[in-house]
Amino acid sequence: MNCEVCQLKELEVEHFEIREVLRCILHTIVFHRALGLVRPKVIDLELFDITYVQCGDGELEKKIDEKIEQFISWVEKHPNKKSQVCISFYEVKNKHPSWFTNKTERLYWEQWYINLNVSQQQKVHSGKSHPSKIVVDPGGSTVDSAENSLEERSNRRAALESSLREVLFQIIKFVNEKKDHVPPISDGVVYFPYEITIPSSSDSAFGMDMIKRMLQTGHPTMLS
Amino acid sequence: MDLHGMAPHSESGKLEQVVSQFLLKSLHIILDSRIPSLHPRDPTCDSRVRKSDKWFNLVLGDRPAALDNLNFWHRNLMDPMIIDIILVQQGTAISTSVGNLLSGSPGRTATETVIERWLVQFESPPRGIASQPSEGSAASYKKTYKKSIIFLRSLYLQTRLLPAYRIFKQLSSSSQPFNFDIIYKVSSFSEPFSRVEEEMMKEYRFVPIEALPGRLHVSVTYRPQLSEFNLQPLTTMPPKIISDYVGSPATDPLRYFPSSYKGDRAISFPSKVMHSPTSVPFQRPHSWTSGFHKPVVNHHLAGSPTVYRTSQMSYDSPSPPMERIQNHRRPLHQRAPFYDECQLSPPFSPSVSPSTPTYLRNSESPRQTRASSETAPVTIPSPISGRSSRYISPNFSDPSKLSLPPLSPRSTRLDNSSNESPSGMRLIKKPEASRADLGSAGQKVLKDNKDDSGRFSGLLSSRSSSKLSFQDDIDDCDFSCPFDVDDVDPPDSRISQNVDWKRNLESTSMGRKSQDAAVGVLVHMLRTAPPLRQDSSCYSSRSLRAEVENDGVATTASGFFMPRRTSDALEELRSYREMKDLLLSKSGTRVLTREPP
Repeated sequence: MNCEVCQLKELEVEHFEIREVLRCILHTIVFHRALGLVRPKVIDLELFDITYVQCGDGELEKKIDEKIEQFISWVEKHPNKKSQVCISFYEVKNKHPSWFTNKTERLYWEQWYINLNVSQQQKVHSGKSHPSKIVVDPGGSTVDSAENSLEERSNRRAALESSLREVLFQIIKFVNEKKDHVPPISDGVVYFPYEITIPSSSDSAFGMDMIKRMLQTGHPTMLS
Repeated sequence: MDLHGMAPHSESGKLEQVVSQFLLKSLHIILDSRIPSLHPRDPTCDSRVRKSDKWFNLVLGDRPAALDNLNFWHRNLMDPMIIDIILVQQGTAISTSVGNLLSGSPGRTATETVIERWLVQFESPPRGIASQPSEGSAASYKKTYKKSIIFLRSLYLQTRLLPAYRIFKQLSSSSQPFNFDIIYKVSSFSEPFSRVEEEMMKEYRFVPIEALPGRLHVSVTYRPQLSEFNLQPLTTMPPKIISDYVGSPATDPLRYFPSSYKGDRAISFPSKVMHSPTSVPFQRPHSWTSGFHKPVVNHHLAGSPTVYRTSQMSYDSPSPPMERIQNHRRPLHQRAPFYDECQLSPPFSPSVSPSTPTYLRNSESPRQTRASSETAPVTIPSPISGRSSRYISPNFSDPSKLSLPPLSPRSTRLDNSSNESPSGMRLIKKPEASRADLGSAGQKVLKDNKDDSGRFSGLLSSRSSSKLSFQDDIDDCDFSCPFDVDDVDPPDSRISQNVDWKRNLESTSMGRKSQDAAVGVLVHMLRTAPPLRQDSSCYSSRSLRAEVENDGVATTASGFFMPRRTSDALEELRSYREMKDLLLSKSGTRVLTREPP
């Protein structure tokens, strides 16, 4: 079975935006892979003028939130770094019992990589004047720098909203283009088994996880 | 995979069923995210899973009834399904169209713009090409079904990412009226966009879904920017300080106040009239509409034979969310399958109403004059109709309905006030003060009949005979009760008069000939009745006013607070209740119309 991989467009997010952005993307992906009976739940983002759709499954929502919190904790320890969150869908296959192993095998048939560039923006100090921004008019320098920062922030926010929308369209395009690899839907199952992988405490461990997965699926490369 | 309700046994039959349900589901998803009236208010409340929900494993809730009548697509799956999402916007350009005349708001037109066009079509391979071998067809409809499930999820999300969803959210989340509305049109043919329109629109094509032997194509042409449309809530009337409110010390207690259940807000349906002026079949409003269809070239709806719309707009004045009008036409299966002029009757309505647009007329702006009064319960004398319109609640949008006696809403209001406060009791305690308020018509009768037992019957007869004069008094905006008399019994006979009054009241209520007279009596009683409780702070202003109106008759404040027994009070209350019931029964229609939507 093919394992289709989708690398989503990189998003530059601030720390406080991570939760909303990840929720939006992860739920959108899972919604398209929840082929059992679902009652869609429409959610409006608070930080952006974007609406996305959830499956309406409480347990799923809880698990996704837990993973997001773990990711946020990791980001706090590794600030200003690019990172990836990977959500994979797999099938469970029973391996032939042998002397060495008796466990089931996961066959990953789809992987999504959410690329985030978390930046820590400098806060706007309204009461202080930035040394590098002292201008000829000392009386207005503080105000100018504050206004510039606010303008930059709003521009950045607008750019992120546009990028997030592009990511959602990217997901729609991908799910419609590639459908043959999707396994059959089992009765009573709402969504396919999935796994969300976040960077662990060390980067090398994260890399090892990726290599492990590659070996399991048998593909020479996972990143395109 | 569970394909529900697959009655036909052949593979092609199953595929056909999948395709037809696909069309329905697509339409449901699109309309659910575009037309506020079709969107369930709280989808989470309804936990039922309907049969239609099981298709494609997507629970959407109740299908609009319109979708159930989509017979022509069931008949020929090859017909494309074109869904136009149309933005109807209130304009300000001066126009002489018929719609303006009927709307009562000259200079206001509505412009309609197609902001989205969805195309859903099942394409079969051209003739001559060999179809798929039958051994693959057993699983082909299952594959098609699975792919359709995935596609419909992406469609569900896509509809919420496009710009039109934003204005849908505006309409559905807010209860205030806007200067725009969204309607839809479903047909199998549509006029192509003009070059100018094409340049302003973008197209998005979904990847076709294999539905062997054919394919399912879905695409959308949409306006990426809607900011050029000035979409905003309707400006409400500026806050107005009402100095002459009922109960104000500065107000003439006998002044007539127009009954307005919702303030000055009008409930009218000018939008419907504007766009379907003359021969539009109509029905009473429903909470959903079906597709609007008209010749696509002509964006003006004037003259269109059918209008299907959901409107929350008020073209004339701020108003609560409009009720909707649903116009019906013959179901499509009774018409030609291909109706090039896009006058396909949306098979969304089960019946047709051939009646004249009387309802629309009735719901028009009060500024419009009515020639016929076929819907008016009572005709009013001409001197009254025009002048009394300003006193009539805006809810009574039909001037012919202004025929209801002006006192009725006021008396009803006063009746309510009597229920709320013991002011009604004051009528008994201070009949001389009330008599001072009576108008000249009643005065004449009272002069003739000093017997208390016959007073009110006399009042009634005078009331009926002097109806016109009474109404004229209303028009003068300075209503003085026609039963105002100055030369009535002195204050010391007050107690006996109270008892007599009650007796007369009961006889009056039973043998009433004129509603107006009874209303006048009630008004008089309620305004001048002393309170049950001895609360000088509440009624000192009234007592002062009564003193003034009595032309200097000395009436001390203490006169209002004579000791009374509970039985007296209970008896009075009983009599008030009887009067109220009688009035309500007589003016039952008006009370109903005053209820909020």
